[in-house]
Amino acid sequence: MHQVEVATTQETLLDNPEMVLNMGPQHPSTHGVLRVILRLDGETVIDLDCDIGFLHRGMEKIAENRLYPMIAPYWDRLDYIAAVSNGLVWVEAVEQMLGLEIPPRAHYIRTILTELNRIASHLLWLATHGLDIGAFTVLLWALREREEILKIFEQQFGARLTCHAWRIGGMPNDAYEGFTEDVQRFVDNFPHRLEEYETLLSENRIWLGRTVGIGVISAEDAIAIGLSGPALRGSGVAWDIRKSRPYAAYADLDFDVPVGENGDTYDRYLVRLEEMRQSRRIVQQALKQLPDGPVNAKIPKVIKPPAGDYYHSIEGPKGEIGCYLVSDGTSRPYRVRVRPPCLINLQALRQMCIGHLVADVVAIIGTLDIVLGEIDR
Amino acid sequence: MFSLLFAPPNFVDDLLLKLFSQETVNFVVWPFIQIGAVITLIAVWALYASYLERKISAFMQARLGPMRVGKWGLLQPIADAVKLLTKEDLMPERADPYIFRFAPYIAVAATFLTFSVVPFAPNWGVITDVNIGLLLVLAVSSVGVLALILAGWSSNSKYALLGGLRSSAQMVSYEVSMGLSLVGALMFARTLSLSGIVGAQASDSVWFFLYQPLAFAIFFVSGIAENNRAPFDLPEAESELVAGFHTEYSGMRWSLFFMAEYAAMVVVAGVATTVFLGGWYFPGVLRLAGGYNNLYVFLSLFVFVVKCAVLLYLYFWFRWTFPRYRYDQLMDLGWKWLIPASLLNIVWTGLTVFTVQALDGWNNIKTIESLKGAPNLARGLNLTATGKGVAIALGWAGLLVAALFLAAVNWRSRDFNLKKQRRQVRLVDVPKGKPAVATTAATGEG
Amino acid sequence: MPLVKVSQASWKEKLKRFFLFDLLQGMRLTLKYNLGALTDKDSVKGFGIYTEQYPKVRPIVAPRFHGAPRLNMDPETHESLCIACNLCALACPEDCIDVIPMDIEVMVAGKPRKKKVLDEFIFDTSRCMFCALCQEACPTACLELTQEFELATYSRAGFVWNREMLEQGREARKFEA
Repeated sequence: MHQVEVATTQETLLDNPEMVLNMGPQHPSTHGVLRVILRLDGETVIDLDCDIGFLHRGMEKIAENRLYPMIAPYWDRLDYIAAVSNGLVWVEAVEQMLGLEIPPRAHYIRTILTELNRIASHLLWLATHGLDIGAFTVLLWALREREEILKIFEQQFGARLTCHAWRIGGMPNDAYEGFTEDVQRFVDNFPHRLEEYETLLSENRIWLGRTVGIGVISAEDAIAIGLSGPALRGSGVAWDIRKSRPYAAYADLDFDVPVGENGDTYDRYLVRLEEMRQSRRIVQQALKQLPDGPVNAKIPKVIKPPAGDYYHSIEGPKGEIGCYLVSDGTSRPYRVRVRPPCLINLQALRQMCIGHLVADVVAIIGTLDIVLGEIDR
Repeated sequence: MFSLLFAPPNFVDDLLLKLFSQETVNFVVWPFIQIGAVITLIAVWALYASYLERKISAFMQARLGPMRVGKWGLLQPIADAVKLLTKEDLMPERADPYIFRFAPYIAVAATFLTFSVVPFAPNWGVITDVNIGLLLVLAVSSVGVLALILAGWSSNSKYALLGGLRSSAQMVSYEVSMGLSLVGALMFARTLSLSGIVGAQASDSVWFFLYQPLAFAIFFVSGIAENNRAPFDLPEAESELVAGFHTEYSGMRWSLFFMAEYAAMVVVAGVATTVFLGGWYFPGVLRLAGGYNNLYVFLSLFVFVVKCAVLLYLYFWFRWTFPRYRYDQLMDLGWKWLIPASLLNIVWTGLTVFTVQALDGWNNIKTIESLKGAPNLARGLNLTATGKGVAIALGWAGLLVAALFLAAVNWRSRDFNLKKQRRQVRLVDVPKGKPAVATTAATGEG
Repeated sequence: MPLVKVSQASWKEKLKRFFLFDLLQGMRLTLKYNLGALTDKDSVKGFGIYTEQYPKVRPIVAPRFHGAPRLNMDPETHESLCIACNLCALACPEDCIDVIPMDIEVMVAGKPRKKKVLDEFIFDTSRCMFCALCQEACPTACLELTQEFELATYSRAGFVWNREMLEQGREARKFEA
């Protein structure tokens, strides 16, 4: 990574026009324990560097010493905002390596809950992004709708945040009684709430001033850095793994991919809002088509995928979250590698920030929607 | 206590005169009573304003706010005060100890000093009636910025320093538009004494807000910026600068800044009320009081408090609705919008006053009441109903003129054209690819 | 600063912007919320107050909730259902379960037979992820994660639950309102 030159000989702060500012790891708006070392001229950023690893737990190494079913809970703790999506990558990777046939009902319930998780994740993004830019009220409104989703998760999985949602071969439990009603109620109510957020922000001139033209990244640069998810689509690249390599039940469902034009913070904001609408549309369809039947495939007593390697990825709320799995034919994986969307999206931070003000750095960190649990792993 | 309202006007005076001489009563005892009452009330207000703000913001966010301490959490501010008083007073090791300790007191002193000239009510509701009252308010309140700079500088912290620098730039810029916006009202009032301004509005029975809608808007917006309140709370922007200039403060010293902030809100609301909203004057209050002087004072005080409360609600309302400005945008707003607008307002008000005076006697139009006896400056312009109508119409027309003027000035600025840059997202129907299939992946080596 | 593409705004948009419509509509909404908090009772669809008054009002926890662990007992004989099979300890990703069995002699059909029964059960809740894999592994539905969620203690040692705590439940410390 690029290094910021920290060593400056200065007697007092004002002797040198340049100032090095350590933002984080205990800063309120670096979304966790990210440390950003900023070199400032006045308030203009002339250089920056990220220091990560404060939340490193060695998850990939831990996974090498665990049986296959034991690894799923660790995936929840990567991107803890989107634990359901993360869990899905792992179980699908193992299932596909085993060549299991998953019953369609499980696929549909997985789709519904993963999309709800995407909405929850985007709502938390909206909440914190708003807070970064000073719009406090939208934080609590968004958390209120997220709470509705978390209630569904609690009923279904028994936990709200780190759900341990799926098991290899299906699900721990069938959908609980009243599942469809609860999801339907959320789906019916949600558009009206989205309108409220838009009323507060979308046209507000202060919001426009803070987001339009901030953190611009072109489509070519975005692809070169390897951005994925809304950060990539905001730059105008229509790339969505749900479309290009459908998993779960996405092949049967109808939805559009929202794409921005300028690649600035405002476009990414609009893209995420539209994604929430599309997610709602997917949930609505999946709920209508929800088939009956079992939710678990027949799985071997000890899970031993055949020797080999396999890469599976899904479209998580933050981008492409992938799992590269190497098996040596034993009951523990030889190597597990996570393709972390947030870590790769964070690489764009330097390019986006230089030339902007300190206040914009905060907005840009917000718009990248990073979660440090996944960056540091 | 209640009968005090209906007591003869000099009831307390009589009581005091038994103890002290006339001079002592006039220049020592009364002022002390008033100052004590005002300081106590403002301190209590600063505490309860935080309670109100927490409640109002909570309601706007579908929350309940403080509920535990006392009924409806009404004792919460007192619990907070006790907590802050008993908290450890931390100071950074390499901070400048004297300036660090001294800065909060400047903030509090500068804010509380301005209350000395604000007329809360007629008669004994005024502590002092200085004939340069408005100037004093502006001068003293701009000392407050010193506290912020010193606090930011002495903390020896980069966040605090940035906060202090931001606050100095911000307050200096907004002082200008704040001061200039008052000039228009002064042309109608013809005095700098705050009591005189209220008197001018009372005698005309017109609030200057009607003559000066633009100036009122400029003054209030500048006042919000002057108080470092959202959406202009850059010196303490918690998402960027942690807590800005008071990052390193804790306990009682922090609460002094806090108190100064809330008291400064009252100052701006009070001055705005006095200059633009008629102060303690409300039509019919005098008749309602029915000759009881103390009752009249208390009713007027009530009117004043209600008007201030409306403005303070606006403060809270803005804060919990809008995102925060960025530093350069804030400067843009100040220098490219508010200052040109306030300059235009002066010119426009001058034209208005000139027009009203020129119309007098032309074609049987009577705009100025004929004065009997010596001209009474405290009575303002002495406009007749026609004159008032003309002035009000021109004042509101000034809004449109100002808007066109500002649009012309800022035609090419980025902030003005943001709306153009807003785009919709496109919805793309991407063709579906091959599904991720279950493979028997046993191809590689184990 | 990189500039972005510019498109012409319509007259309607210009007029809206002129009258501060974008700011006023936000203020209208927050005012609605402010009044709604006092009058509206519907918090899910309307503007009502959404928050729970937690210690005062106990939350309704889902039946499937993964909370404090418990060792179930036979409701009639009051003997532990645990057969000390160690499956839960094997299923635990964090190794936070210790099952300590002991052998006792029981008379089966008149003959003394050795039988493995549970002596002590250690459950370290400070390391537990509440993934419920142990609950799923238990063949006798003995180990269960209950709906009890107030697990805070004053010391690290307090997180280690022994058999007695797991069977009887930790001394209930409800936070009174």
